[in-house]
Amino acid sequence: MDRYSFSLTTFAPNGKLLQIEHALAAVGNGSTSVGIKAANGVVIATEKKTGSSLIDISSLEHMAMVCESIGMVYSGMGPDFRVLVNSARKIAQQYRRVYMEDPPVRILVKELASVMQEFTQRGGVRPFGVSLLLAGVDERGPSLYQVDPSGSYFPWKATAIGKNMVNSKTFLEKRFNGDMELEDAVHTAILTLKEGFEGQMTENSIDVGIINVIPGSQSGQSNPTFQRLTSAEIKDYLSNIL
Amino acid sequence: MNFAEMHQPEFAQAPATERHSHGRWEPYVDNGGTSLAIAGSDYVVVASDARQSNGYIINSRYSPKAFQLTNNVILATSGYAADAKRLVEVLEQNSQMYFHKHEKPMSTTATAQMLSNTLYGRRFFPYYVFPILAGLDTEGRGAVFAYDPVGNMERVVYRAFGSAAALVQPFLDSAVGFKNQRNADATRLLDREQALKIAIDAFTGAAERDIHTGDWLDIYIVDGNGVQHQKRELKHD
Amino acid sequence: MKLRAELAIKCATHESQTESRNHSIMQYNGSAIVAMVGKNCVAIAADKRLGQQALTVDMDFEKVFRMTDRTFIGLSGLAADVKTVHDTLRMRVNLYKHREERVIEPKTMAHLVSHMLYERRFGPYYIEPIIAGLDKDNKPYICATDLIGCLSLPEDFVVTGTASDNLFGMCESLWEPELEPEDLFETISQALLNAVDRDAMSGWGAVVHIITPDGVITRDIKGRMD
Repeated sequence: MDRYSFSLTTFAPNGKLLQIEHALAAVGNGSTSVGIKAANGVVIATEKKTGSSLIDISSLEHMAMVCESIGMVYSGMGPDFRVLVNSARKIAQQYRRVYMEDPPVRILVKELASVMQEFTQRGGVRPFGVSLLLAGVDERGPSLYQVDPSGSYFPWKATAIGKNMVNSKTFLEKRFNGDMELEDAVHTAILTLKEGFEGQMTENSIDVGIINVIPGSQSGQSNPTFQRLTSAEIKDYLSNIL
Repeated sequence: MNFAEMHQPEFAQAPATERHSHGRWEPYVDNGGTSLAIAGSDYVVVASDARQSNGYIINSRYSPKAFQLTNNVILATSGYAADAKRLVEVLEQNSQMYFHKHEKPMSTTATAQMLSNTLYGRRFFPYYVFPILAGLDTEGRGAVFAYDPVGNMERVVYRAFGSAAALVQPFLDSAVGFKNQRNADATRLLDREQALKIAIDAFTGAAERDIHTGDWLDIYIVDGNGVQHQKRELKHD
Repeated sequence: MKLRAELAIKCATHESQTESRNHSIMQYNGSAIVAMVGKNCVAIAADKRLGQQALTVDMDFEKVFRMTDRTFIGLSGLAADVKTVHDTLRMRVNLYKHREERVIEPKTMAHLVSHMLYERRFGPYYIEPIIAGLDKDNKPYICATDLIGCLSLPEDFVVTGTASDNLFGMCESLWEPELEPEDLFETISQALLNAVDRDAMSGWGAVVHIITPDGVITRDIKGRMD
């Protein structure tokens, strides 16, 4: 056994923290998630994998709303995700408590990333076994972020995480263009997932979340709201693909 | 600190039961309300709201606190309504006696001096009233006299007293006294339409912010032809 | 004098101690601040006096602060807390600018101030702030809070300080909607000057800021020095 792999806070001679490498491996084993930023919104989507056909797949939740204007999906360990959802929601509410408005996506991502970073350095804890995709809209428009177990975060136009991330990203590189409307982006996201999907894809075996920019909403009354698509809506998209 | 400030929180805000529980007799109540007067070259405008209150309770929505004395003199009051009523009765009696004795109505200035003496006569158990006396002087010019409860008297061009005095007086300083206006002639007197409009504006504003002022506005205009009275509506809430 | 002394004793025994102390603390230094909405502009004005009860100590004391290019805050009440809250808020606004890479909006700042004050709910700063500014769409924004941060958001004018009653009376009569910057300046100056002239605790000159989409006009105005 490698002597650097035990302590969370001991660098290996090659400059890596092995526990973080292991956490990334856990992400790599997780089901694929994709995110695409469109001209007028953002979509995030993920597979819902189950070990058994007896599980009621329709009530599995792999995606969460953090606040009105921000949604979040993961690849990796489900229980760790739920802890981070709690943290993210708390960060958003604390921001609201002070400023009476939703945090800009970048601010939430930074705060959440700093929570994840803390779990790579503090005693008695382990890094989170998840990577996150956050989709949101603020006064600067739509944005899509990835956050890794190390606490690194990246702004993306389109990306994928999890088991099929390499193939999916290659696929997205070919399909993505900046003028894409949200409808198109949802389509492309589902197609990307379908590429590496094992077995038959149904409306219950994927989770899709969208948030769109409402024209003039920054100063207007209605705010952009993150929504998970219903299985009926997903079914519509799937029927167009097949 | 003037008389009103010394007494208001004690008398007006304390609920009746609390006052009694201390077992001490409190002779005064502040019934709120506001009065003002503006003098012109040949007229005088007097305005008083008609709400009478005690703390947060409205006793009456139309209980006038401006009174026409026997001659062409208006007495506008504020403070304790019962004392004001008694004061008016005393003044009416005395000016009636004057009329019988001298076989002529009492002049405005004489009434003004009498009011001062009447108030000072109760130096150690004062009428809790802030009177403004208005009429025409012997030259026919508008005359306004303002008093504190113990009879200190001042002849002025305009004055506001009562629960909204802090709101109204600075406005009159600006609109009637032309204070803080570099190019204005501070000695200029308003014509009666302007004065009437300013009096109404002042009360509309006061009724908006002061809970003790409102309901109805009594206006008296005194000029060479006599006294003209009108009643206007103010906010009822 | 005797009557007054008796009353002082009565006040001390009847009112709870905190109540009478709050009262005197808010009146200790004296101030008068007012903000008004105009047509595509806002104005905020304050007197310059700093006193210790009846004694005037400073005749050029700053009570209105420019927190961003187009958002101002006026702080009335205890001068020590005026300085402390201003410094703390300056820190919070700077941190916000660095963290969020944007300038704080007047509405957001109002909620920040409200939050800062309510954090001290049971040991408050003895100040009553008003905020005035233009938001990113050039829409006028004014608000006032009490000493523990309860916001009030009228659409015409807000006042605070020892001359607040006087200011209410002035504004209620002088203010009208859709005033152009120069007319708004005249209105707010008249309102403030005549209000402070009937308040012994405030006055000694004033400063007026007119905030327009094109920039801020700041004028010092002379008043009665008594």
